[in-house]
Formats: sequence, C-alpha cells, structure tokens
Amino acid sequence: MELNGDILIGAPREKVWAGLNDPEILTRCIPGCEAMEATSPTERTARVAVKIGPVRARFVGHVRMEDIRANEGCVLRFQGSGGAAGMAKGHSNVELTDEAGGTRLRYTAQAAIGGKLGQVGGRMIDAASKQMADQFFTAFNEQMVGVPEVEAVEATPAEPAPGATAAPQPAFVPRTVHAPQPAASGEGVRVLWFVLGSLSTGFGVWIASLLTS
Amino acid sequence: MADLYPIKVTVNGKPHQCSVQPRTHLVDFLREDLGLKGSHLGCEHGVCGACTVELNGNIVRGCLTLAVQADGGTVQTIEGLSESGVIRDLQEAFVRRNALQCGFCTSGMLMAAKELVEQMPHANRAEVREWISGNYCRCTGYHAIVDAICDVLQQRKEAA
Amino acid sequence: MKAAAFDYVKPTTIDQVLALLQQHGDDARLLAGGQTLMATLNMRLSEPQLVIDITGIESLRGISVQGKVLRIGALATHTDIEFSPLVARHAPLLKAAAPHIAHRAIRNSGTFGGSIAYADPAAEWPTCLLALGGTVVARGPKGERRIAADDFFTGLYSTALQPDELLAACEIPLAGVDHWFGFSELARRHGDYAIVGMAATARREGDALHGLRIVLLGVDATPVRARQTEALLEGRALDTATVTQAVASLRSEIDPLPDLTNTPDTKRHLAGVLLHRMLPTVATASATA
Repeated sequence: MELNGDILIGAPREKVWAGLNDPEILTRCIPGCEAMEATSPTERTARVAVKIGPVRARFVGHVRMEDIRANEGCVLRFQGSGGAAGMAKGHSNVELTDEAGGTRLRYTAQAAIGGKLGQVGGRMIDAASKQMADQFFTAFNEQMVGVPEVEAVEATPAEPAPGATAAPQPAFVPRTVHAPQPAASGEGVRVLWFVLGSLSTGFGVWIASLLTS
Repeated sequence: MADLYPIKVTVNGKPHQCSVQPRTHLVDFLREDLGLKGSHLGCEHGVCGACTVELNGNIVRGCLTLAVQADGGTVQTIEGLSESGVIRDLQEAFVRRNALQCGFCTSGMLMAAKELVEQMPHANRAEVREWISGNYCRCTGYHAIVDAICDVLQQRKEAA
Repeated sequence: MKAAAFDYVKPTTIDQVLALLQQHGDDARLLAGGQTLMATLNMRLSEPQLVIDITGIESLRGISVQGKVLRIGALATHTDIEFSPLVARHAPLLKAAAPHIAHRAIRNSGTFGGSIAYADPAAEWPTCLLALGGTVVARGPKGERRIAADDFFTGLYSTALQPDELLAACEIPLAGVDHWFGFSELARRHGDYAIVGMAATARREGDALHGLRIVLLGVDATPVRARQTEALLEGRALDTATVTQAVASLRSEIDPLPDLTNTPDTKRHLAGVLLHRMLPTVATASATA
C-alpha cells in the first residue's frame, strides 16, 4: 500500500527540519502518543494509543532512520505490531524544499501489511492513514507557524504509563510526553503513527464488514 | 468486575437457569455450559458461519451474541432441530448429495438452510448460493450443498 | 479469541443509559446488535470495563410514520427494515439496499442505529441516509437534538454524536409519488465489502430528475455526495449525451482513496459504471409509472 502527499508549511526549511526532530512538538501533533524513546541514535520506539470508532488499542512501533540529510530529508524504515492481529512493515521518504510561503514537505510511504490485517483490513487503511496524516500535519503546521524563532525545549516529566488493564485515555488532548533522548525524526514518527493507525483502522474496517457488505 | 450474571434461557425446548460471565459468547455457553457441541467455533468474528444458531426464531452468529443477551429467550441448536425432525429432509438431502465431508460447517449450513427453505420457498439456485455465502466450507466446494438445498426446495414445493 | 472480562448492565430507559455514559465515559461501550462491537471485543481491539446493553429499551424500537417522516428506531434490525411494509412504501431505497448487507444471520441482529453511529464509509445505511436526506435524532443529557445527515458524517468512523449522546432514531422524509431511487454496489462476492456503491434519490418529472442526491460508498472516509454531478443533471432530460456527460462529471469530481485490492482509478471507473447503469432506470420507471 502506498501513501503520498505534500503540504506547504509556513516556516523556513531549517525550522521545519528542527520541528520534525523535536519530540515535544511531535508528541503534541500525534494524538494518543504515550511514549517515545530512542533505542539507538537512529532508532525509535513509540507506543501510541489509537481510538477509531469502537477500537481502543495500543500499538508499538519501531523506526530506523537512514540517509539523513539535515534540513533536506531522510528515509525511514518502520515496523509496527498489533500482536496476533497483524503487523506492518515498510519505509517512507520525506523531502523538504523551499517554496514561496515556506517549505514544501513531500512524503511517500510504502507498507506491506501482514497477518489478519493484511487479509481483510486493507480497504480503508489508506483513508485512515490519510486522515491521520492530515491531522498530524495540520497540527504540525500550527506548531511551526505559532512557535517563536528561538525555542527552549523544556523537559517535562514523562507521565506514568497507564496500567495494562486500564482503558486507554481518550485521544481528545494529545498527551505531552518528553522523550528523554535526542529528537526522533518527525517523519518517522508520523509514518509510524500512520502504520499504527492503519493497523487498528484496518481492523475497525474489517469488523464493519460484518455489519455491511 | 465480571461477577456471574444469572440467566434463564430455553434451549431446545428445555428451560435452563445458569450463571455466566458477561463476556461468554452464546455459542461457548451452549458448548461448554450445556455440553451441546454441535455448534462450532471457526473465526469468532462472525464471518464463517460455523457458530450459527437460532435465537428467538432467527438465525444469529453465536460468536457475536453474548449468553446474557439470550436471557429470557429461546435457543435452538442443531441438536434440537435434529431431534424434533424439522430438518430431516435437509439432513437426508445432505447425505444423499454428499454435501458434507469433515462436517465442521454442516451444523451452521443446516441452520442457514432451514431459514432459507422456510422464508424463501421459491428461491432459485442463484438465491440459494447468495444465501449460504455466509457459511464457509473448506471441503466440498459448495456445489453439493447447493444441490441438496435445491432438492429440498423442490421436494417441499411438490409436497405443498 | 474471547473478549476480555467486562461488567454488563441492561438498562430499561434512555435516561439510565445517559446516566451510565456520564458516569463511565469512555470506559463503557454501548451494545445494540453487537455485530461490530462483539467482533471488536473478541479480537481485543477494545477492552471496556462496562458493556451497556440498550436492547431492552422499548422506545428505541419500531418503525412508524410520524407526520411527514418515517421514524426508524435505533434498534430496528436490518432484517426488520428489509421486510417492513412501511419501509417498502415510504423509503424503498432502504429495502433495495438491505439484502446487500452481509448475510441473513448478521442482518437478524445488526441494527440501523448501530450502523449509522459506526459510520463506516463502505456501509449501506449511512450512504442511504445521506441519499434520503434523513435526520439523526440524538438524545443527550441536555435533551433531544436533530442532526441532518449532511452534517452527521464528519470523518472516518466519526460522527457529530457527542460521547454522552445516544442515537435514538432516524427520520426519513416520506417518499412522494414522484420519488425515484436507485441503489447499486459492486463487490467480488456477495457479502464482501463493496468496491464502490451508489445510492441515489430524486423527484422525477417526466424523463428529468429534480433535487438529486447521489451518494457514493467505499470511495472515501465518509459517504460522498456527488454535488457537481447532481447539479449537472438537475432538470435535464436523460438522453445518451447527458448520461455520458454525467458519468464524466462524476469521474472528475470524486477523488477516491484506494484499498488493498483496488486503485483509485478502479474505483473512479466503477463509480462511473454504476451511474451509467442507474440513470437509464429513470426512463423505465417513467414508462411503468
């Protein structure tokens, strides 16, 4: 499955790149992101609580950054798991170019979906992914346009993760969780989030196939 | 959390009073609590049809119905239909047409077929195929099942 | 898989349901037909603390004519709608669409309200409600409110229903004598998710249609109205040239999202095919009217 898109961000390229690498900005833009940590300088693990329709699920994903070109773009390889339900694996590419009005951010993502999700969930994965990508970038653009030129990133204590049996928090307000390690690539996290969102949405969609033809 | 919930349900004509966990599916209740193993579990999300049973006169997916939702209701399983003889012609047609091999889908198929021959007595072959497309069979390739059901439709028309 | 443990309660009034929703919020899930919820719970994609069974609430049942609308209670099952004489007379589009919904065992349990509240973009009922210009009746702590179908479906599995509200019923304008409708969907096998589907209604005068509502399912995150094509067809005689123009218009105005097996181009093409097949039925209906 493939996802492509581009968006004009109202900020210069360097600022956009810095924003995409700023975990605090990212977690503000990703609904349901609960935790993010670096397992190596170029690898990240994130846990995202996803809420779509009746689905409330937590997915864990891993992202590895490659071909990092500061202020220009990079490639990300990602892998996400929803347990027995299925998994997704793929890569994504993000490129930044100058344009009148700010920075043009172009992204492509390709994923292979396996397991149950791959069999039945594919139909609206793209719709869910696109919607979540749109939400992310709208929020990201607001962060870019609203954020002052020089920003001191404050450390906020990571909130304790909810117990395994507790219902996940509703994703009305993204929780701010500060990753203790250096910045994750924004694109990686977004794509990761796209994949994770796809997993649960694919399920929701397939589940709806029971109700509809 | 998950205290047992009392239910009263009539299964195959017999009244039962039981306590179940709310999360128990109807088909698990029938199989495990009442020992009625004729209904089967395939996919547990409603698509394969192996769990099809009759609740309050209509076929439903036993895996998508909670036992607590059957409280105060009436259930018929394949055992009940078999014993009462209402599907004898269907069962004989299935045997005659070799419409079962491993038998896993058969109880669900018969439940679905019963509702078809009762509610659509003039169904043609295409309609039969469409109706049973909610029940998966891995062995027979379906044609024999369709043949058996069409035989019964014909027989019942002639008898009427 | 088996669902995780939960508490279960079966209220008898809407006020009880609303109170429970206030108390438990997102820890509770409403259970109607359960054909979507139970599968979700079985696969442990949701582990609520409490399941609120609303099937005991009589006021949510029933299909009746209320003044100028057909009121369909939230608990009306797909089978109820398929065989309701009131639906056949006043909202025949629903009767035409019902057999496309999954299979009989699902239809016996699944509910109209559940389908509308779940808002799957590939589902039949949300698309039909939009094509009929229906209204959702929601009950909340502040009372009852009505939401037009055009305003109801806000995003993927997202509706204008607030978390503390219950979908109580839908109201559908009664079909007039000049009512024309069409429903069609394309799927590889019966009961599969439709690759693309179309529900359309209009008032027919002679060979022309007025007040068209053409809605597509399976092409986007919500059911999609083809407003450009509706406007193009308004009041025009449906000769071959017009039909060709309309099909081209539809293909140009939609921007389908792909799924695992169908590209946007496939969906775009098939949407045009559905319109191409549907429009000539207007002339036939006129001939037999």
